[in-house]
Amino acid sequence: MTPQLPLALRWPRRQRFEHFHPGDNAVAVEAVRAAAVDPSAPWVFLAGPLGSGRTHLLIAACQAAIDAGRTAQYLPLAGLRGSRAVAIRGMAGSDVLAIDDIDSIAGEDDAEHALFDTFNRYRADGCTLLFSATGAPVSLDIALPDLRSRLGSLTQAVLKPLADAERRGVLREQAAARGIELDDVVLDWLFAHHARDLGTLLDLLDTLDRASLAAQRRVTVPFLRNLLKDD
Amino acid sequence: MSDLWRRCLERLEGELSAEDVHTWLMPLQPREDPTGLFLYAPNPYSLDTVREQYLVKIQSIVEHLTGRALPVRLEVGSSGGRPAPMRPASATHASTPASPRAPEAAPEPPHVHNLDPHYTFETFVEGKSNQLGKAAAMQVAMNPGRAYNPLLLYGGTGLGKTHLMHAAGNLLMQNNPGAKVLYLRSEQFVSGMVKALQQKNMDDFKRRFRSVDALLIDDIQFFAGKDTTQEEFFHTFNALFEAKQQIILTCDRYPKELDKLEPRLKSRLGWGLSVAIEPPDFETRAAILLSKAADKGMEVSEDVAMLLARRIRSNVRDLEGALNTLAARANFYRKPITTDFAEETLRDLLNTHAQAVTVPNIQKTVADYYQVRLSDLLSKRRVRSLARPRQVAMALSKELTEHSLPEIGEAFGGRDHTTVLHACRTIRGFCEKDVRMRQDWEQLIRILTG
Repeated sequence: MTPQLPLALRWPRRQRFEHFHPGDNAVAVEAVRAAAVDPSAPWVFLAGPLGSGRTHLLIAACQAAIDAGRTAQYLPLAGLRGSRAVAIRGMAGSDVLAIDDIDSIAGEDDAEHALFDTFNRYRADGCTLLFSATGAPVSLDIALPDLRSRLGSLTQAVLKPLADAERRGVLREQAAARGIELDDVVLDWLFAHHARDLGTLLDLLDTLDRASLAAQRRVTVPFLRNLLKDD
Repeated sequence: MSDLWRRCLERLEGELSAEDVHTWLMPLQPREDPTGLFLYAPNPYSLDTVREQYLVKIQSIVEHLTGRALPVRLEVGSSGGRPAPMRPASATHASTPASPRAPEAAPEPPHVHNLDPHYTFETFVEGKSNQLGKAAAMQVAMNPGRAYNPLLLYGGTGLGKTHLMHAAGNLLMQNNPGAKVLYLRSEQFVSGMVKALQQKNMDDFKRRFRSVDALLIDDIQFFAGKDTTQEEFFHTFNALFEAKQQIILTCDRYPKELDKLEPRLKSRLGWGLSVAIEPPDFETRAAILLSKAADKGMEVSEDVAMLLARRIRSNVRDLEGALNTLAARANFYRKPITTDFAEETLRDLLNTHAQAVTVPNIQKTVADYYQVRLSDLLSKRRVRSLARPRQVAMALSKELTEHSLPEIGEAFGGRDHTTVLHACRTIRGFCEKDVRMRQDWEQLIRILTG
């Protein structure tokens, strides 16, 4: 018998500020929130490793900007198809532009230049730019010194990943929202055998959500092992 | 927001990633009337992507929600015809064109000067590294077209060239209220020209630039390799120069060292005065910090300013970043900014700056710079071609790291601390007398701390 396919609907990942677990990052969260809603607040450069919540915060910033009556656009450079220089130059007309993963254009001459021009233009227009990368501007391999120094002039918000206990809490909460129960045995196994960063774990939760729905069974370690093997 | 679009978005949020939703769909502004649903994209780039990737899906959801084939139309602009956001000091700035905003702002008509009123000589912190530049910029502002033409300010990024340029423009206008001053970043000149070429109104373009009393163009190093731009700029330059209209330019290096810049343009640039803006020394960095802190309404003691000035040497922008970061944290915790608080807050930031400069790093950089072998630099050989770079490396180690003289001596093949001290004094003396030596020194500092 073929398994029943769930609807092509996903549980939208809720990425507002109120869904962000600040851990040690409360200063960073507040700096990003202020920049999103207040045109006179300083721009922010978010630095943090994968899974530290950079994307969540940038998307939350866009949402908060829209709620405050501003227009906002999110630009993920890492996953973008086509020329990134063209995309960066094309992104005009919003009050807030949140640019994710700028390390992915480091060393790309055209894209760096486009970002430099965009920086100057947004500055002159009194709009807001937010940036994120895996490290501080000086640590990225940005070749254009004019761009690097401009990024260095922003409020530097360094994100620290959540501790294991906090990550467990977030996972459990997100799972509960989807009607999935994750017990300690399952969580122990996930942390030991899968990944520890929250982004990957939350992605897994989406997969799990659909798979356990399709299989109509509880989430256990053998079930997980089987699912991840298929991946 | 249109209720139909809100419900449509809810459906799309369930089917697409949050990233895609916020990149392409949330920025759309809806307007609904009996003839259809209008979606306004912030720019043509977004419009194209939405049309290619999401329009069919949006149409089918709309049809499903309304039970009829309601047309969905995409346009660039905003639903309320809301004007584009104004600059903070809108009264003296150019306002950007109202929506729909063009993706690249064209150079404004000449009566719009683009000057930032915050950049004045009063707010410029003067030190040894920039006093010549400041004096020249003031001269030019007081005697436009006659003192030095063109005035070219050159030096690394984040050292205050743009500030001086705006200050000159602002003072010039203050003294001559009717004067037409035009400030442009080089990229605005280039894109204005490209647009004029496309729309075949080069005459307007030429007229616009040649009718100003002072033309200020920032970062002309970006003209390199753009032949048509250089050609046009060359003619603009000549026209302004002959009519004794002031030209002020900035560049990230001495223009003669710029590759891909036409020789005839290089020679024109040398007709007036070229002044180097150098990285600020310790005292100036501390003074800049205090001035910027006062500007932001922050209470920063001299001790804190000196702590930051000692650790961050690269450029003024990095100092500003440190100050902004400190402000964010102090505001959040509502704590005064003590040196301990500053140390703690900026640990990550300062570490990146401190880490970048180590003695081995300096030795390698200096060896590369003077094209000598690292092993020779650290050897006992005393030929002049090695002794001088070795002294430079020692003096840089003293200047840029926290190591003691004996430690530095040890790192240079077990030399005595008096040898290091002698090297520091010798190089300092050379820097004061010899321009070439000073340029090497500044360049090395830039390489090591940039």
